[in-house]
Amino acid sequence: MARDGLPLFPVTVVGSWPRPPWLLEALRKRHAGQISYQEFQQIADRAVLEALQAQIEAGVEIVSDGEQRRDNFYSFVVDKLEGVRMMSVAEMYDYAEDKSFFEQILRQLDVPAYAIKTPVAVDRIRLKMPLALDELEFLRRHTDRPVKIPLPGPYLLTRTMWVQGLSDRVYPTREDLAQDVVAILREEILRLRDAGADFIQLDEPVLTEVVFQPPVHSRTFMCASLSAAAEDPQMELAWAAQLINRVVLGVEGVRIGVHICRGNWTTREEALLTGDYRPLLGTLEAMRVQQWVLEFATPRAGDLEVFQACRQKRELGLGVVNPRTAEVESPEFIIARVKGALQYFEPSQIFLNPDCGFGTFAERPVATPEVAFRKLQAIRAAAEQLRREFGE
Amino acid sequence: MGTIVNGLEIEQLQQLVAQVQADPEAARSLNRWTARVRWLGGFKGRAYIRNHSFVIDEPADLAGKDEAPNAVEYVLGALGACLTVGFVLNATKRGIPIRNLELALEGEIDNILTFLGLSNEGHPGYREIVVRAYVDADADEETLRAIWAETVATSPVGNTLARSVTLQPELSRVAAS
Repeated sequence: MARDGLPLFPVTVVGSWPRPPWLLEALRKRHAGQISYQEFQQIADRAVLEALQAQIEAGVEIVSDGEQRRDNFYSFVVDKLEGVRMMSVAEMYDYAEDKSFFEQILRQLDVPAYAIKTPVAVDRIRLKMPLALDELEFLRRHTDRPVKIPLPGPYLLTRTMWVQGLSDRVYPTREDLAQDVVAILREEILRLRDAGADFIQLDEPVLTEVVFQPPVHSRTFMCASLSAAAEDPQMELAWAAQLINRVVLGVEGVRIGVHICRGNWTTREEALLTGDYRPLLGTLEAMRVQQWVLEFATPRAGDLEVFQACRQKRELGLGVVNPRTAEVESPEFIIARVKGALQYFEPSQIFLNPDCGFGTFAERPVATPEVAFRKLQAIRAAAEQLRREFGE
Repeated sequence: MGTIVNGLEIEQLQQLVAQVQADPEAARSLNRWTARVRWLGGFKGRAYIRNHSFVIDEPADLAGKDEAPNAVEYVLGALGACLTVGFVLNATKRGIPIRNLELALEGEIDNILTFLGLSNEGHPGYREIVVRAYVDADADEETLRAIWAETVATSPVGNTLARSVTLQPELSRVAAS
């Protein structure tokens, strides 16, 4: 057995599932003010049940709600927080000190400024309603399986939401905003734990943007590029780890992981970041979380050998399928990846998951539900075989 | 007030078109445009156009002070603005409301070395300008493509560039009194 009554090599997801067209239609209507928040939630209930059913049928053992209620993994906080406004890059252009930098990113992504939106702190942020408690409670009513709730991490939220010229009236520095972000996330984690969440995953994807310092033409995270582009990478990493620790310090009774990836907005692998985890290892070790949820199916993430220097330090949520490719990985490929990880981790420390979500951005899913389903099935088949081999 | 689409009054627009159609002479004044540019030192200049004025400079790596766009960038801006006006006009004529419209332009100079006197190959003008329009409007893609094609075909700045306008350079030597 792995820990907490889970089987060895538990099969889980990173979070998102491709939204059905009728849910996207409802999402558009809600953004256009044509249906209410409540009306949208009723439609999303059905989508969550379908996403849940797909995971259960594919053999997922720690399920999520597929992030069906969210427009993406971090912007959804706009609905839950006061003091935060969804702004398009077009609206933010006049506040950007380095406008030519914006222009280069828009060109690279081939998108207009009006189409990229991000939450911005424009006033003191306060909880309007819990960030993800509704997601958990709904899932709890419909499944006995352990539940994973992904939340945007404190560094991601602070970096994204603090924009010079818009946020500094209320929060003179990013750290001032971070204090409120940390408090909100910490309360949310305690609330989710008390309501029966099994696994809370803090998403901090932009850390790769910090370490790989990509040239402007290959910026991956627009959300991270809107502020703080010139900060010192080492200080950023240290600050990110510190923020995570302030959120999770002393929280017991729920598994907390941190997820890092190199972008999941396109199926063009060459447009996403490349580099192994070496420059992030110190930061990962400094974070007092139980699990690192990391991509390893894509060759862009480098090799598992990086863990030579820090064996068995944490659980590893091992990315074993690439959510962006149409080809379904074989159980043999997955098993080989796990065996590579077993050189540095105990069997009881390894969880199996895709590299990232299948539909991180509602309007830009990277997989079809059919392919996502078959990839999860392949993970479960590999897990069964590994369990036979390693003791269950 | 009549029907407003895209911030424009449709009837007024139609009336304007009808008026010019009935009396082409009325449009004669719209055929001539003027500008005056004064040198301000370095590579900087100021353009005076009717009751407006704006600065033109060069970026620092071209020995300017980078206080404003340079002339070839204004060409891109002018083309983009012209195509924007044309797109809105043509969409509004069809009664199509536009939620968002954004144009991204990129021009490629044929050979900048000829401007610097370092080469006789090619020419220092734009060889090609790529214009990408991003549109968010209540119309199907085919309709939007038709509007875009019409806009490009009837664009005054677009035609100026694409048809190679005849330049008539003249010079007067005038001392300040």
